Parts: sequence; C-alpha cells; structure tokens
Amino acid sequence: MWMIWELSILLSALSLLIMLFLIVRRVLQEHRDKAAADQRRQLLTALIAFTENRDSEALKAVVLGVPASVAINAGFEFISLLRGEERNGVLVAFHECGLPALVGRLLERGNVAERIHAAEMLAALGSEDATASLLSALDHDRSRDVRIAAAIALCDLGSLPLLGIALDKIGVAGQRSRRLIDLFRRFPRSRFNELAVHASRADAVPFVRAAAIDALARTGGFGFADFFAGLARSDSPEVAAAALRALGLTGHGAAPAILAVAMTNADWDVRTAAADAAGRLGLSELAAPLSMLMDDEFWTVRYAAANALRSLGNPGERLLREMAGSEVSRSQRTASLVLAEGPAA
Amino acid sequence: MIADWSHQIVLAATILSWFIIGAGLAQTTIYLLQLIFAGYALSKRPPVARSALLWHRYGDVAPPIALLVPAYNEALNVVESVHSMLALEYPNFEVVVINDGSKDDTLQRLIEAFKLTKFHRPYEEALAHKPIRGLYSSPMTERLFVVDKENGGKADAQNAGINVCRAPLFCVIDGDSILEPDALMRAAQPFIDDPERTIAVGGTIRIANGSKIEAGRVREIHLPRRLLPLFQVVEYLRAFLMARLAWSSINTLMLVSGAFGMFRRAEVVAVGGFTKGSMGEDLDLVIKLHRHMRDIGRKYRIQFIPEPVCWTEAPETLSVLARQRSRWQRGALECFFRYRSMLFNPRYGRVGFLGFGHILIVDVLGPVAEVLGYILIPAFWLLGILSAEYLLAFTALIFTYGVTVSVCSLILEEAELQRFPRARDLAVLTAAAVIENFGYRQLNNFWRVKGWWQYLRGNQGWGEMTRTGLGGAKK
Repeated sequence: MWMIWELSILLSALSLLIMLFLIVRRVLQEHRDKAAADQRRQLLTALIAFTENRDSEALKAVVLGVPASVAINAGFEFISLLRGEERNGVLVAFHECGLPALVGRLLERGNVAERIHAAEMLAALGSEDATASLLSALDHDRSRDVRIAAAIALCDLGSLPLLGIALDKIGVAGQRSRRLIDLFRRFPRSRFNELAVHASRADAVPFVRAAAIDALARTGGFGFADFFAGLARSDSPEVAAAALRALGLTGHGAAPAILAVAMTNADWDVRTAAADAAGRLGLSELAAPLSMLMDDEFWTVRYAAANALRSLGNPGERLLREMAGSEVSRSQRTASLVLAEGPAA
Repeated sequence: MIADWSHQIVLAATILSWFIIGAGLAQTTIYLLQLIFAGYALSKRPPVARSALLWHRYGDVAPPIALLVPAYNEALNVVESVHSMLALEYPNFEVVVINDGSKDDTLQRLIEAFKLTKFHRPYEEALAHKPIRGLYSSPMTERLFVVDKENGGKADAQNAGINVCRAPLFCVIDGDSILEPDALMRAAQPFIDDPERTIAVGGTIRIANGSKIEAGRVREIHLPRRLLPLFQVVEYLRAFLMARLAWSSINTLMLVSGAFGMFRRAEVVAVGGFTKGSMGEDLDLVIKLHRHMRDIGRKYRIQFIPEPVCWTEAPETLSVLARQRSRWQRGALECFFRYRSMLFNPRYGRVGFLGFGHILIVDVLGPVAEVLGYILIPAFWLLGILSAEYLLAFTALIFTYGVTVSVCSLILEEAELQRFPRARDLAVLTAAAVIENFGYRQLNNFWRVKGWWQYLRGNQGWGEMTRTGLGGAKK
C-alpha cells in the first residue's frame, strides 16, 4: 500500500517537472517562431522582387541570410506557384545557394514528414544529385510512405527504375496505397508498356494491377483496347472491373460480347462496371442483359443498369418506362426512381 | 460473541476496501499503459504536414466523401454551419444535411439561404428510418443536398443520410460543430494509405468555448474562461490523445466519436447502420463493426488520428453537463450489456479482452467503486477498522495518479502536437489538470453513478442539451 502512495507522489512530481520544462521550452520557441516568421516574410518579399527585377544576387543574399529550414520551406512553396522562365530563374538561384544539397540531407536525416516533403522538393528542384538521393531513399528508407514519395519524385524526374523493381522496393504493404495511382498516372508514355506488363501479371497485387489499368485507360487511350479486352476476363474481380471500366473509355469491337458475359459475373462490382461501360459506349444491343440487371440483388448494379439504359436514348428510355409501368418489383421500383431523377415537377 | 462480530465487520470492510482499491489500481494501470502506448504511437506518427502539402500530395487520389449532418432545431446556426462545411478543403465531397423533423424553421432557413428546390434522387433503402418527406438540392452548389424527414432521433437521421449519400465514405458530424478546413483531407489519409483495410477513422474533438469564431471558422484559439469547460479541455485531451490513440495503435479502438467520424459506407450498411434509440450510437456502431469484421474473418483497421480537428461547444453549466455525462454512462452500459457475449470471448481477440475489459473496468465498475470509496474508505479509517495505509493508497489512486495521468496527457500534446498557441495556455491547463482532480472528478463520478441508476430504471431520455451557440463564443 505504501508503494502505491510513494510511486504516485514520484510520478506526479515527475510529470509536473516535465511539464514545467515544456512550458519553458515553449516560451523560448515562441521567440524563435517569431524570428522565423519575420525571416520567411523577408524571403518571400525577396522572391517576389526577383520575379520583377531578376536580381539574382539580391535574392541569393537573402536566401543565404535566412536559416536553411526557412529557405527550403518558403522557397518550395513559392516555386510551386511559378512556371516557365521565372521558375527557372529562381531554381538557378536556389542551386547556386546549395539548397538542393540541404534538401538531400533532409531526405536522409529528417523525420518521416520531413523526408516525404524532401522527396517532393527534390523533384521540384531537379538537381543532378537529386536522383541519387531519391534512389537511395527508395532503396533504404525504412518508411514505406517515404519510399512511395521517392518513387513518385523519381518518376517526375524521369529516373524511376523498372516498375517491378520500384514496387519491390516499395514493399508489399505499400502496394495497397492509393498513392500508387498517383505514381502510375505520372508515368511517361514511353513506359506505358511496363504498366501493361505489370497489369497482366497474375501474381501481382490486384489493387496495383487495377491501378495500372486505370492509369493506362486515362492516359494510354485506344492503343490498349485489345489489352483491356483480354483482362476483362480476369479471375480477379478487381482487375476485371478495372478492365471493363477501361473498355468503357476506349471501346472495342468485341466489347458487346465481353460486356454481356461480364454482366453475368458473380461479383457485383464487375456487373456494375460492365453496365457502366455499356452505357458509356451506348451499346443498344445490350439492352436485354441490362434489363436483366435491373432485377439484380445489389442496388449499385441496378442503378448502373438503369443509368446505362437511360444513356441508350429512346430505346432504353422506352424499356425503362415499360418496366416502371409493370407490376411492383425491384426493377419496376428502380426504373421509376431513375426516370424521376432530377428536379421535382 | 462481540469479538466475533467485530472480526466479521473488519473482514468485510477489508474485502470491500480491497475491491475498491483493486478497481482503482486496475483503472490506473490501464491509464498508465494507455499513456505508454499513446506516447509510442505519437512518436511513430509523422509530424503534422501543412494543409497545402496535403492537397498537393493527396488531392488527385482522395476518395469521394459524403458529409452527413443531422440537424434538429438548429435554425440558429444551420446556415452558417453549412456555409462553413461547403468551404472545406477537399476535392470531392457533398454535404447532406438531414433535417430530422425540426420543430423550428431549420428547413425554411436552409431553403431560403441556398434557394433549395425539391429534387428526386434515387437511393438504396438499405437502412430503415422514419419516412423522408423530401429531398432538396441547391442551384447555387452541386455539393449540397438536404433531406427532410420525420423526427426519429440522431441515429435515424444518420441512417437516412447513409441511404441517400452516394460516396463510398461518409463522415458524420454534429450540426453545431465546426470542422477545421483541412479536417476531411487529414481524416481521409488512412483511407488513401490503406484503402482495403481501413473501415473507420476518428479525429480529435476540441472545445471551442472561449475561442474567436467568425463565419463558421475558428479564427483564434483561446482557452475557455470558465472553469467547467476548462476542465473539459483536459478531459478531452485525456480521452482523445491518450485513450483513443493508445487503443487505435493496437487496433482495439472501441469508440469513434459521433461528433466527428469517417466510415466506409459498405461496412456500416452491412452492420445495419446506427442503432436507433441507442444512448451511445457511436460506441454501438464501432462495436458492431468490430464484431462483423471478426465474424467474417476480414482484416480491418479502425483508426484514430489526432490531426483532423472538429470544434464543439462544451456544456458550461453543471446541470447540462450532468445530463450529458449520465447519458454517456447509460450509453456505455447499454452497449456493454447488449454485446456482453463479446467480453473475454476468444473469438473477438483483443477487442473482447482489452476493449471490453476496458469498458468493464473503467465504465461499468469504475464509477461505482470510486464513489463507494469516497464514502467507505474514510469512514472505515475513522472508525478504526482500516489502517491509514488503505486511506493513503486510495488517495494516491484518486488524486495523485489522477494528476499524473492528466498532466502526462498534456505532455503528450505539447511534446508532439503543440496545438495550444501560447505558453500561458499550457500553464493554465497544467493548473487545471491538477485542480480537476479535487472536486470535478468526484462530481463526474457522481453523475456517472446517477447514469447507472437511470440505466437500471430504464430511463432512455436524452435530456435537453442547452447550447449558447458557437457563433456566440468570444468574438
């Protein structure tokens, strides 16, 4: 019993002492923050002045006169607002002041948030050493978030290793992140084949395969229509649904047959994607299977089918009106709801 | 004979005292462990990135979100609240306001302010709720939908919102709360980083009393000037930064606050949505999600992240606070007994052992044991039945460990997040963290025991939650 009492006194005294220390630390920090805010203002003023007078020497003097952390953060924010000649001018001044090297060090030694930010800054600053630093981060950093950020930055710099290697370095846990979608969307056209190869790998993570297909559909266009048509029959529902969505964007000669089969798939996500694609492509020959989907047990499928019928124009609308006027059923209710969608009369 | 009786009395008193001290010791041990887990989790978390960076980083891949805002008699603030929600910094979201049969002119105010017109929107009737009288959209913004329905309570309104919304994620928020502009972006982060496993995310609730509020935004952060909300600031720090972060770090988070929580719609629909008429509908939902995911054997994460902030108004009077705390207690008891089969059930793993064990010790036994202790331990000591050791141990568990836990929560906040803007605020909060253990804590336990009593008597009323309105806070 005495121990409970004594330990409690010790712990509470200790906690109060630590708090006192933190309060004193905060007082000192308030002074430092105020100074940093002034320096930031000074740097931003110099940057604005540079965009008007292009006085690189004056800008460099200010950059070198403020602490590196202020120069890095305010500098990055500012260059993200600039384009063209002005941006290049500022970048040259930053390089001459050695900012990329400082950012490179931050990528090695900062905390996780600083390292992610450093990767983004290196992509924007684009120095010669940036690629080496980023490759090292992709190789060795213990945080998957930093490794993903490094991969995205390398992609922007045109120096991303082969996709399979990059994904291995990111690790399996990182291959569930939606940030990969961002990475794939930044892929240069010349490397689309890598995305295609990865999307067709049956042993790859379905999420990553689907993300690769989405990226190809958004940026790759019609050249990959055959490829999407092949993947639409994939055993993985996630991959099949992504391929069907892609087909809906590109179209394909065999699309009606592929979509008709997909509309009978056991997975509701695949059926939804097939209905969406049919509507987007305006395939009126699929009106019958779409009508069947109007009785699907999943609302999402029924709604996609109804919208697809609507987008077929008059024949689809007529079918919907027939269904809405029929006996009470799932398809009747869905049809009347979709026909009524919009501002009330 | 008398000696025999007195021996019996001493034995009974000693056993009772051991129970009281044992319960206190168990509670304190849990709190200290939570502090360790929370400290570790915070040290592992990347520090807060600036909002502009988040947008730059996640803007293109952020999933659509529906913001569900149940409103009942909120005519005073609803228009300003909706304006502030529409101005949130997120690329793809819609605001669904659910007018839950308000008796005042909440709906009329919305119709006038946003030029609402009736609109037909097909939706899945996946969850049961009171009939919807009409849906409204605004020509001023595509982001706003208003659902006008018959009164059915908060859970009922939220279920209607879940039915009507189309986004894969929804975020629930109280109509009178204020989200920080980047709160959605921050709360969505786990859904971006781990979209397959993340099914729910809770953010921090902070107390806005005393802060400067303009146009539905917290412009300057100040501490409350009244003692009662000031103590609640410390309490919320303990609840969010210590308890929730700790449980979240081991995937045993049992509560995502109904005032600000983000959920994946499919899983919430699968568990039947919010339980209507529940006193603790937020706790109830999270328990159901745990149970469902473990029953179907799927990997999942229910996370708390401290960075997204929702500001709320804390009760400033004893009577309103008492009603709120009794209701929370009833909610905890109701959920504990409703899902009691999960307690120490190996099928539910750490949720059954740690999560439910925590509710048992802290919410079910805790208040009763503590209030009994206030009465019995000093009485036994005064009567000479117990030695001073017992009294000291009880005092330590209630007061000095209480101070330690509260101050340590503040240490976590300052060491990792630093959200209180001035050093002076920290000094005031440190003082509050000490003082609240002498009076406020006891009152709270009294209200919780009252909640126990109300639960046993089957009292299901919510009680009136009188608010002065956040717009009425310091300007």
